[in-house]
Amino acid sequence: MECVVQGIIETQHVEALEILLQGLCGVQKERLRIHELHLKSGPNLGAVPSDLKILCDLEQPEPTWTVRHVGGPMRGAGADQISVLVRTMLESKASKNVLRFFYALGYKLDHELLRVGFAFHFHRGVQITVTVSSINKMLKLHATDEAVPVTPGMQLVEVTAPASSENYTEVVAAMSSFCEHLAPLLHLSKPGISTGVVPTAAAAAASLMSDGGGTTL
Amino acid sequence: MPVKWVFHWQLNPGTTVNSQILAEVSQCAETINGVKGRWKANLTYYKPIFRDQTAPSEIPRDFIGISLPEQPNKCYFTLRSHRIVVEADLSIQNIMEKLQSYKSRVTLVFEGFQYHLGDFQVRVGKVVPSHSENLRGIVMEVEYLPISSLEKSREIMEDFTEIWQETLSKRSLPGRFIHAEPNFSEFGLSDNYTSQHTAVQYATVMAQLIASAQSVPAVRN
Repeated sequence: MECVVQGIIETQHVEALEILLQGLCGVQKERLRIHELHLKSGPNLGAVPSDLKILCDLEQPEPTWTVRHVGGPMRGAGADQISVLVRTMLESKASKNVLRFFYALGYKLDHELLRVGFAFHFHRGVQITVTVSSINKMLKLHATDEAVPVTPGMQLVEVTAPASSENYTEVVAAMSSFCEHLAPLLHLSKPGISTGVVPTAAAAAASLMSDGGGTTL
Repeated sequence: MPVKWVFHWQLNPGTTVNSQILAEVSQCAETINGVKGRWKANLTYYKPIFRDQTAPSEIPRDFIGISLPEQPNKCYFTLRSHRIVVEADLSIQNIMEKLQSYKSRVTLVFEGFQYHLGDFQVRVGKVVPSHSENLRGIVMEVEYLPISSLEKSREIMEDFTEIWQETLSKRSLPGRFIHAEPNFSEFGLSDNYTSQHTAVQYATVMAQLIASAQSVPAVRN
């Protein structure tokens, strides 16, 4: 399982967000360049239609491959009341021929994108990951060098944390508390619920840029 | 990692596999002062689930997932029809379960004893379905610890195999161990031995065991 919230930020404020995250997390950022291939099961395959993502981390000297399956969100009154989405998520590292393997099994490429940006991995009671990235589409199949932004001038911010059915309330609390620190720069909400950019972003960014993150927002 | 050859026991026509053969092979290893330990591996057949059974399909009939004792956190998927072997974390099994596109149908357990014989490690084991003692076959692994190149080790592996087969032949058992080496390069594997080579060998051994099981009624008729 994982807990997740998302938000968007104008590219011009990303540098300020980076300064703020650097101050909050106390770790170095990691560069992010991930080719995401979204696959769907062929027309007759499976008890139900299924999909999965194959991620190729292009930032590594030798690209590494991961299979990711994101399941449905947790449901019920309890899930509605919390501001974080809790969902099943499984990942497995795999050898580089894993894409060919799933094609052979009867999966088809639905779409692909390139995520470029940076990530912070840190511990704040629980393990939290913040990624800030621009989402790019490829004009030609697999042409990651010629990718163009899907939403120019906007970047996606995603905060995730691994969780289990036993500890997710703790994880949600830790994440919510962390996200409050980012509130002057961006709204974070459950994926699929768009809250847009925040009106205070420009002022907060200017303040952060002027003193290098020393100000408590 | 050290190079390894995987063998399966090929029965003489008209005979059936039994645990006595396994016991005799094990005794044989012990007589040449092998140091004994236990060993176990699991192999699962995954078969596709179709929404419409009657619709024509180019989907593979099955693929194999194997977990090996030397890589306890890994799983190897082998799709022989497409000459693909994939190495993944064990969690890939949970992902396959969630996808509900292929279902694990049969799990076979390879279980037995391993023996250190100088620079060689020999593992002999029975092949049984999980939750059953119904013997389906016998396998043997011969590993040469100092070398990881298939080509460089070929001669010494052949020599060891010859001595081993000769020792076994004195027991007049109803069959012999066969090593059918797959064409590793077809699977994109190099001369440098990896666990993916082992997974491909097991997939080949299973194909041989199934083929020989299917040919038994023909022999009897």
